[in-house]
Amino acid sequence: MSRTRHSLGAGARDIAPILLGIVPFGLVAGSAVIAAGFRLPEAVGMSLLVNAGASQIAATSLYAEHAPLFVVIATALIVNARMFIYSTSIAPVLGDASWRLRPLLGHMLVDQNYASTMTRGRFREDVDVIPYYIGAWLALAGVWQLSTLAGALAGPLVPPSWGLDFAVPLVFLALLAPSLKSRVAWEVCAVTAVAAALLVPTLPMQTGLIVAMLAGMAWGAVRHTDAEEVRA
Amino acid sequence: MTPTVTFWLIIIVLAAGTWAMRSLPIMLHGHVPLPAWAERLLRYVPVAALTAIAVPASLYLKTNGVYHLEPPRILAAVAAMLVALRTKNVVATLAVGMAVLWAAQAFLPRLG
Repeated sequence: MSRTRHSLGAGARDIAPILLGIVPFGLVAGSAVIAAGFRLPEAVGMSLLVNAGASQIAATSLYAEHAPLFVVIATALIVNARMFIYSTSIAPVLGDASWRLRPLLGHMLVDQNYASTMTRGRFREDVDVIPYYIGAWLALAGVWQLSTLAGALAGPLVPPSWGLDFAVPLVFLALLAPSLKSRVAWEVCAVTAVAAALLVPTLPMQTGLIVAMLAGMAWGAVRHTDAEEVRA
Repeated sequence: MTPTVTFWLIIIVLAAGTWAMRSLPIMLHGHVPLPAWAERLLRYVPVAALTAIAVPASLYLKTNGVYHLEPPRILAAVAAMLVALRTKNVVATLAVGMAVLWAAQAFLPRLG
């Protein structure tokens, strides 16, 4: 098997456990579009084109609550603003990509793919990181599309009392743990955790997440020394 | 505008804006140099992003736009984090976290 195919498969395999957490999310994103009064093309089109679950659910529910158009779009874009930071952070890792491939790699940038590539893929010596990243996204996008479609056709399906949405934070905790390899990394985690716990429920238009992230990043920038050189 | 046209407008503007935020830094890499302070700021993005997403979803449940503390989730997240730190294994973390969540949902209300 060629190294490229091996890397595609490795990316998809590393992301496999994470896929479980996507399903309830996709079901909700799909069924919300139908509940807001639209049909299958809108549900599927939104997932294909926007490809960012939290912002899709935010935009759909704000629309359904008759929020002004400006608020719907601004809120959803603020929810996705973290992706600008992801993109800046992952750009050197994907730096060998051709100029033609780069706009597509950008579209593939979602939380799970970013996390898997930055915490695992880029350190694996047996894979090329660009096909690894693409393989991970193909697996994610397949499950995302199918679960959105299922949600649009059949509703949320999984009873909320099962709490399957909890798989999302669990996966992020699992990916976070190996990155906590230095004192400063633990400090960044603690600062971000406190900020997120306080600000996410209180700041308007879902800005708490990005403000908490920036607080942790700023703490890391101030406290980092070269002696602290780690794979953060 | 009919609701369907309005909704497609939302989809297209949201898709274009999100694509631009995701893609521009990747596309400009190597063409526009990043200032040293920005590189410094980006060093801990994975830790900060994973924490900022995981912590609120581990503490709170959101119903009708209101956040409440959710003790079964907090308990399950702590157990899952201990497993994650020990094993660094995603499947084990998911399995323990979901098992503790379901157990806590079944038993915690009886304690309280």
